[in-house]
Amino acid sequence: MSDRLLGAVCVVVSVAMAWAAQDYAAAISYEPVGPRAFPLLLASGLSLCGLWLMLRPTAGAKAFSAVPWQSTGLCAAAVLIYAVLFQWLGFSLATALMALPVGMAFGGNWKQSLTGGIALGLVMYLLFDKLLDVVLPTGPLSAVLGGS
Amino acid sequence: MEVLQHLAAGFGVALSPTNLLFAAMGCFIGTIVGLLPGLGPINGVAILMPLAFAMKLPPETSLILLAAVYIGCEYGGRISSILLNVPGDAGAIMTALDGYPMARNGQGGVALSISAWSSFVGSLIATIGIVLFAPLLARWALSFGPAEYFALMCFAFACIAGLMGESPVKAALAALIGLSIACVGLDSNSGVYRFTGGDVHLSDGIQFVVVVIGVFSISELLLMLEQHHKSTGVITKTGRMMFNTKEMAQTWWGTVRSSVVGFAVGVLPGAGATIASAMTYSMEKSLTDTEGTFGKGDIRGVAAPEAANNSAATGSFVPMLTLGVPGSGTTAVMVGALSLYNITPGPALFTQQPDLVWGLIASLFVANVILLVLNIPLVGVFTKVLSVPNWLLVPGIVAVSSVGVYAVHATTFDLVLMTGLGFVAYLLRKQGVPMAPLILGFVLGDMMEQNLRRALSISNGDAAILIASPISVGLWMAASAMLVLPSLLKLLTKKR
Repeated sequence: MSDRLLGAVCVVVSVAMAWAAQDYAAAISYEPVGPRAFPLLLASGLSLCGLWLMLRPTAGAKAFSAVPWQSTGLCAAAVLIYAVLFQWLGFSLATALMALPVGMAFGGNWKQSLTGGIALGLVMYLLFDKLLDVVLPTGPLSAVLGGS
Repeated sequence: MEVLQHLAAGFGVALSPTNLLFAAMGCFIGTIVGLLPGLGPINGVAILMPLAFAMKLPPETSLILLAAVYIGCEYGGRISSILLNVPGDAGAIMTALDGYPMARNGQGGVALSISAWSSFVGSLIATIGIVLFAPLLARWALSFGPAEYFALMCFAFACIAGLMGESPVKAALAALIGLSIACVGLDSNSGVYRFTGGDVHLSDGIQFVVVVIGVFSISELLLMLEQHHKSTGVITKTGRMMFNTKEMAQTWWGTVRSSVVGFAVGVLPGAGATIASAMTYSMEKSLTDTEGTFGKGDIRGVAAPEAANNSAATGSFVPMLTLGVPGSGTTAVMVGALSLYNITPGPALFTQQPDLVWGLIASLFVANVILLVLNIPLVGVFTKVLSVPNWLLVPGIVAVSSVGVYAVHATTFDLVLMTGLGFVAYLLRKQGVPMAPLILGFVLGDMMEQNLRRALSISNGDAAILIASPISVGLWMAASAMLVLPSLLKLLTKKR
C-alpha cells in the first residue's frame, strides 16, 4: 500500500462522510451553525489531505514488505476472536485460548504459551475481580470461580 | 503567597495514605512500562486509565496514579537504554548514546544512578516551573472566549503537525480522522445522531477508552511483532552503583541547563520529551564537549538528556491544566481520563477544582522522591523485568487492555470495536501516519466544534469573529508560523 492508495481511501471516506452528513439538520434551528457544518468542514479537509497524498506521495511501497503477515494476521484474528468470546467464555478461559496463538506468534512454544495463558487467566482474574473490585465475566467456570 | 497556601493544601491531598499508595504504585508500574522496549508512557497511561476508573478511584487519585506512571516511564526508559542499548521509550533514545558505552566500560551503575539523579533534578525544576507559571497562565486564559479557544486548538494542531513526524500532511490527516471519530454520536445542540448508522451502541459516541486502547495497545502489539532485538546484550556487571561528588559536580550545570530547556520545550504543544532530549544532547555537546568524548561514554551525555526528557514530560502538564488543551498524546489521554469523570479541564479548573490541580502538582513532587528512592537502590529489581519473555508479556497486555475496555461499559461491542480500530491504526501507522494528533483530535473534537459554533452564534454567523481579538490573531499567526517554519528550515538546509 503506498501513499497514493492511502490518499485514495481518504478521498473515498471523505465523500462518504459528506454524503452521510448532508441530511443532518436540526428540527428547530436557533443557532447559525447547525450539526452539518463541522462534519462537512472535516470531510473537505480530509479530501484535501487525500488529494495531496495522491498527487505528491512521499513514501514508497516499501513500508509493508517487511511485515510478517502470517503472524500479524494470526495475532489480529486471535485478538478479534478473544473480543467476541470474552463475555461468553468468561475472562479466564478466553484469555488462555487467546494466549496460545499470540504467545506462539511472539516466540513461545505451545506448552509455554498455554501454561502462560492459563496462569494469566487465573492470576489476573483473582487480581482484578477479587482484589481490585473490577467485575469480570466468568462464563462456564462461574461455579468454580465463585463469580456473580 | 496564595500559591504556597494552595500548594500546602495540595500536599494535604497528595500525602493522604490512599493517594500516596497509588502514587507509589504508579511509579513502580511506570518504571516497568518505561523500561520495556516498545511500550512508552502513552501506552502505560492508556492501559491503566480505564482500570483506575473501573476501580472507582476518585478523580484526583486516578490522575495522581496516571501522572506517576507518566513520570515513572521517563525514569524507566533509561534503564534499557543504558544496559541494553535499546531505548525503553522514545524519550530515552539519546541516553543510549553515552549510557551504553558507559555500561560497556563497567560504569553501568554510575550511569544508572547519575541518570536517576538528573531525572529527579529535571522533574523537580519543571514542577517548580508549573507552580510558578501555571496559575498565571490559567488566570490569563480565563479571558479567552470561544473564538480564542478555537484558535488555540488550531494552534495546538499546527504545533503537533509542524514538530512531529516527517510529513505534516499525514499529521493533519491523523488530526482530521480523530476529529471525525469525535463527531460520531448524538449532537447535543440539535439532537441529531451523526454517523451512527442507526446503531444503538454508537448513539453515545465512540467511547474514549475504546479508541485509546485500540490505538495505543492493540496496534502497538501488532507493531511489536516486527521487532527482533535479541535480549542477549543485557549488561549485568554494573560496577560501582553510586556516583561520587566529583561526577555530580561535573554534570550539575548541564543538568540544570537541560532541565530549563526541557521544561520550555515541554510546555509548547507538540514538542515533548523526545525533541527535548535530542535538543539538549546536542546543546551540551556543543557547549561542553571539548575533548570529543560525547558518544564514547561521557557522563555528561547521560545526565543532560535524562534531565530534559523528565522536565519536558512534567512541563507538558502546563497546557493541559491551564488551558484544557493537551500538548502531547499522553496528556491528551489524561484529559480523556478526566472526561470519564465529567471534568472538563480548562482555566477554570484552578478555581473550581483546586484539590485536583494542586493535589496533582504536589503529587509530582512526591512521585519524584519515590522514583528516586525506587530507581537508585532497587534498579536491580527492574532489570529483572527485562527478562520476562514476550510470549507471556504480550498476552498479558492484551488481557489487561481488554479488562480495561470491558470494565467501562461491559459490552462485547466495545471489545470488537477496539480490535477493529487497533487494526486500522496499525495500517495507518505502517503508512507513517502519527497517532498523537489523532488522539488529540479525538479528545478536542467536541470542544472544538462547540467553541466554533458558540463563536459563530455570538457573531450571528459572521466568521470575522474568529480573527476579531488580538489574542486570536496572534494565535493564528503563531499557528501558521508553526506549519510553515519547519518546511522552510528544511528547504534552507537542503540548499546549503
